[in-house]
Amino acid sequence: MSAVLRMAEVTRVHGEGATEVHALRSVSFAAHPGELVAVMGPSGSGKSTLLTLAGGLDGPTSGVVSVEGVDLAGVGAAGRARMRRTSIGYVFQDFNLIPALTAVENVALPLELDGVRSRTARAGARAALEEVGIADLADRFPDHMSGGQQQRVAIARAVVGDRRLILADEPTGALDSETGESILRLLRARCDAGAAGVLVTHEARHAAWADRVVFLRDGVVIDETGADHADALLDAGRIR
Amino acid sequence: MSALASWRLALRLARRDAMRHRGRSVLVLVMIALPVLAVTAADVVIATQEVSGVESLDRRLGAADALVEVPAGGAPMLQAFDPYDGSTSADGVPADHEPPAAAEVSDVLGGVRLLERRQGDVYLRTDDGVAYVWATEVDLRDPLTRGLFDLGSGRWPADSSEVVVNREVRDQGYAVGDRLDLVGDDAPAPIVVGIAESTTSRTMPVVAGPIGSLGIEPSEWSGPAWLAAGGDVSWAEVEELNALGATALSRAVLADPPPDSEAPEEIRAWSSGTDDAMVAAIVLIVVMALLEVVLLAGPAFAVTARRQARTLALMASAGGTPAQSRRAIIGGGVVLGTVAALLGVALGIGAGRLLVPVVQHWSGEWFGPFDVPWLHLLGIALFGLVSAVLASVVPAWIASRQDVVAVLSGRRADTRPSLRSPILGVVLIGVGVAGSAYGATSGSSGEFAIAASAVVAVLGMILLVPVVVAGVARLAGRLPLSPRYAARDAARHRTRTVPAVAAVAATVAGVVALGIAVTSDEAENEGTYQAMLPMGDGAVTAYDLTPPQWRDLHGAVAAKVPDADVVLVDGLVESTSMAEPDARSYYLETRAPGVPRHQPLLSMMATTFGSSVLVDDDMPEIVRGVSDAGRRRGDAALAEGRVVVFTDRPVDADRVVLRPSWSTMDDSGNLPRATVPATYVPIDRSEASASLVIPPAVIDRLDLPHAPVALAVSGGRITPEQEEAVTEAVQAVTNDGGFYVERGYQADDETVIVQLVLAGLGGVLMLGGTLTATFLALSDARPDLATLSAVGASPRRRRWIAASYALVIGVVGAVLGAAVGFIPGIAVTYPLTRGWDPEVEAHYLDVPWLMILGVVVALPLVTAALVALFARSRLPLVARVD
Repeated sequence: MSAVLRMAEVTRVHGEGATEVHALRSVSFAAHPGELVAVMGPSGSGKSTLLTLAGGLDGPTSGVVSVEGVDLAGVGAAGRARMRRTSIGYVFQDFNLIPALTAVENVALPLELDGVRSRTARAGARAALEEVGIADLADRFPDHMSGGQQQRVAIARAVVGDRRLILADEPTGALDSETGESILRLLRARCDAGAAGVLVTHEARHAAWADRVVFLRDGVVIDETGADHADALLDAGRIR
Repeated sequence: MSALASWRLALRLARRDAMRHRGRSVLVLVMIALPVLAVTAADVVIATQEVSGVESLDRRLGAADALVEVPAGGAPMLQAFDPYDGSTSADGVPADHEPPAAAEVSDVLGGVRLLERRQGDVYLRTDDGVAYVWATEVDLRDPLTRGLFDLGSGRWPADSSEVVVNREVRDQGYAVGDRLDLVGDDAPAPIVVGIAESTTSRTMPVVAGPIGSLGIEPSEWSGPAWLAAGGDVSWAEVEELNALGATALSRAVLADPPPDSEAPEEIRAWSSGTDDAMVAAIVLIVVMALLEVVLLAGPAFAVTARRQARTLALMASAGGTPAQSRRAIIGGGVVLGTVAALLGVALGIGAGRLLVPVVQHWSGEWFGPFDVPWLHLLGIALFGLVSAVLASVVPAWIASRQDVVAVLSGRRADTRPSLRSPILGVVLIGVGVAGSAYGATSGSSGEFAIAASAVVAVLGMILLVPVVVAGVARLAGRLPLSPRYAARDAARHRTRTVPAVAAVAATVAGVVALGIAVTSDEAENEGTYQAMLPMGDGAVTAYDLTPPQWRDLHGAVAAKVPDADVVLVDGLVESTSMAEPDARSYYLETRAPGVPRHQPLLSMMATTFGSSVLVDDDMPEIVRGVSDAGRRRGDAALAEGRVVVFTDRPVDADRVVLRPSWSTMDDSGNLPRATVPATYVPIDRSEASASLVIPPAVIDRLDLPHAPVALAVSGGRITPEQEEAVTEAVQAVTNDGGFYVERGYQADDETVIVQLVLAGLGGVLMLGGTLTATFLALSDARPDLATLSAVGASPRRRRWIAASYALVIGVVGAVLGAAVGFIPGIAVTYPLTRGWDPEVEAHYLDVPWLMILGVVVALPLVTAALVALFARSRLPLVARVD
């Protein structure tokens, strides 16, 4: 099965000369449909950089990032924005909902930005909210929701419109453990339904939900484990 | 911690914060420093232009210690320390008091030397006719006169056959060596020996020479005057001179005035009578300006307060009091306000210095030395400081009452709006409406009541802005993403949005109110316009043409307008040319027996044909506003040798009393009155162009001169080309003539210009308010924009959101402001267009819809477009909390 996300020999350097920082060094990495990959590592190991590169919010200094077979460097800023609307969904630690928009409007955002008619976009958003189990909160503003509810909205926003790559950056970091577990269950379910997920976390217990775990330190992949890691290793070796 | 120490801490924090957030600080500085700069520059120019008492001494006294004048024929005087600030002859003293002679004046001053000075005006023949020239007779070689005139070229006059003139006179055709051609039978003819400028007047024609050189005679109301030398003249000596019948301008008294209580009470009562209406108007303007500045600077402080919300919440959780929180924000107002005020004043003084020569160019008087009125500037600087502090007060108050838990848990919204303030807002608007209605219906000071109510209504409107903004956000659900986001976000951050919207609204309210006033005033002008002639007809008038000249002119005009009737109009000689100072002009007062003198027979009349008394055997065709029956009666009366008197009131009489009088440029007299048979013919006063018609035989019998006074051109529509041709024909004969063609009401360009200026001013302020709020909102919205970017918004989206922001603020502000502006706008048209006749119910209301549409719809759109154009289209990255 072809990978949804593929990173090949990706390096990202911030700054120049004396202030040069290697956030990632020659990282190769892939996520397949139906697979949830956990990325672990200490602070500053490059976890977040990996996610911003995967989502096309930032570009690599060298190497190739492709999503669903499309090289992100080759489609321009507008193309990458379109990819984020249609193929890539983000989930952040601090939810990052827009407080001026209601839950359903937040979820409908990617569709609306993609030019879908408002009514259709909202219908899709309601369905997504239903999937994460909070259809009844559709018209609430984020300020009037609990952290867990907000993160469910964020996940609904990340998956609406059948996007196949979900990038989750410490999605449970701001939640209590019980709520956190339910969020991870949602992510897992979404991947089981066919999406590819990348979960950045520093809690080993959350990594248990993943099919594979990639360890990063100082921008280098130092280890990989997982249920079907033989396949993953094969996959990682087969760069192109 | 003492209050002082806690303020010191707050100010230190504020200073660091201001340095750290340079963009926001510069914004506040500009908002406050600009008005301070403008007012400072204007004040400096005005102070420089005004020549205050002491500054003016050299140009009024020369090198003398005092100027003694006898202004009222020797009646004892009362005077202010500076007699030009007020002097009057004392009551109850017979005016036959002998004017003091030089010796008496000198005695009072301890035997000092006196130098006589006379002033008056003379008429001078020039290349173009006769010019009025301000003349001074004084011995200019006397050192006492140093400082009155500056000699440019030539020399001072040596005797009474010589004078100096200024450039203005030189430019009218006199050079050094020429003989002055003064008007008057036995006027002297001195020779110009130098060109000297008056140190007072820059552009007025001026001539000066020794006593006798210009023929100025001291008159009853302008007696002799002397420059006195020989030491300080004390206030006691001035009072002594007053008792003799003289006033004195003393260098010593002005330089070191005695206490105010020393001045005569009558004079003090004059000068202390400050104009209440003026003060009230200034207070109103200052209040409105303060309000506008506060509103424009307000959003920046709101954002500062929000940025510090977390710090303040942490402070509160660590035991900080609300007062300390407030100080932290108000400290920012104090720091930025002080800097802005100092900066504005400093730059304003510089701008004023640069402006002085420019303004001097347009002024007829020499300015004094460059003058910085420090006391005023202190007030202006305080205005800047106060406006900054006021702008920070509401954000500070809200910050001090914030929900600490909500802030620390990262929720960002404002607290719910209170219900009390909108209710108060409605009440204030109600008061504004009531005050405006009162002003519209009351008499004299109506405009002031309306202006005051306008301020109240605007204040009320500001209190309503939060509710309106929240309402707009609620209605925004159906809008596309960008405006929906903008409207909702604006409502969520009310402390930032409300002042910006209110600033726009207050501006628009003012623009709309003034616009309605100006346009309605113009409508009144149009509505009350009185045609002097039937449309397309014309009249040629000229002074002092001989009958043959009139006949030639008649032929020339008839040739230029072949299809019109050109009629020579005969009338009483009522006006003469300035070129003939000795020519007599006549005036005929008419009265019907039995009608009181204060009730004129004709309440309104335009002298279209050069004279109000026409001489003819028939009713002249050119007289309009008379019925056919009236015309027949008039013809019959004239045929019988009766005088036709036009009137717009019922008169029951068959005679008229005629009281003729004459005048020349400097003399006048009465002629014997006569009562003659008359017929009164009703006339429509709005069309009246003559007050009576006298048969030639009657006017000859009365021995009053009559002559051709005008040419009436009627019957053919005069084209603009014909008008120009006739005007040229008239000018070929005389400079003192003209050709008037009735073209109906011609709209004044000024109204359009005023409307454009208003719209422009509104545009600038709206742009200021909108841009501030929009870019502050964008910087506040960074996290949201980052999120948008993460979910796939294209970079352009930032522009759309920025433009939507500008649109929301502009439209909401403009609509609110226009609505409130209608209140004083409509009200002020009542006193403005009431007209002069209290018996006539007049009111004109014309709303400049195009301008209002422009301000309410076009301006916000243009502003939004500008914002869209200049907003950066780059979305920020999500900053991850790591």
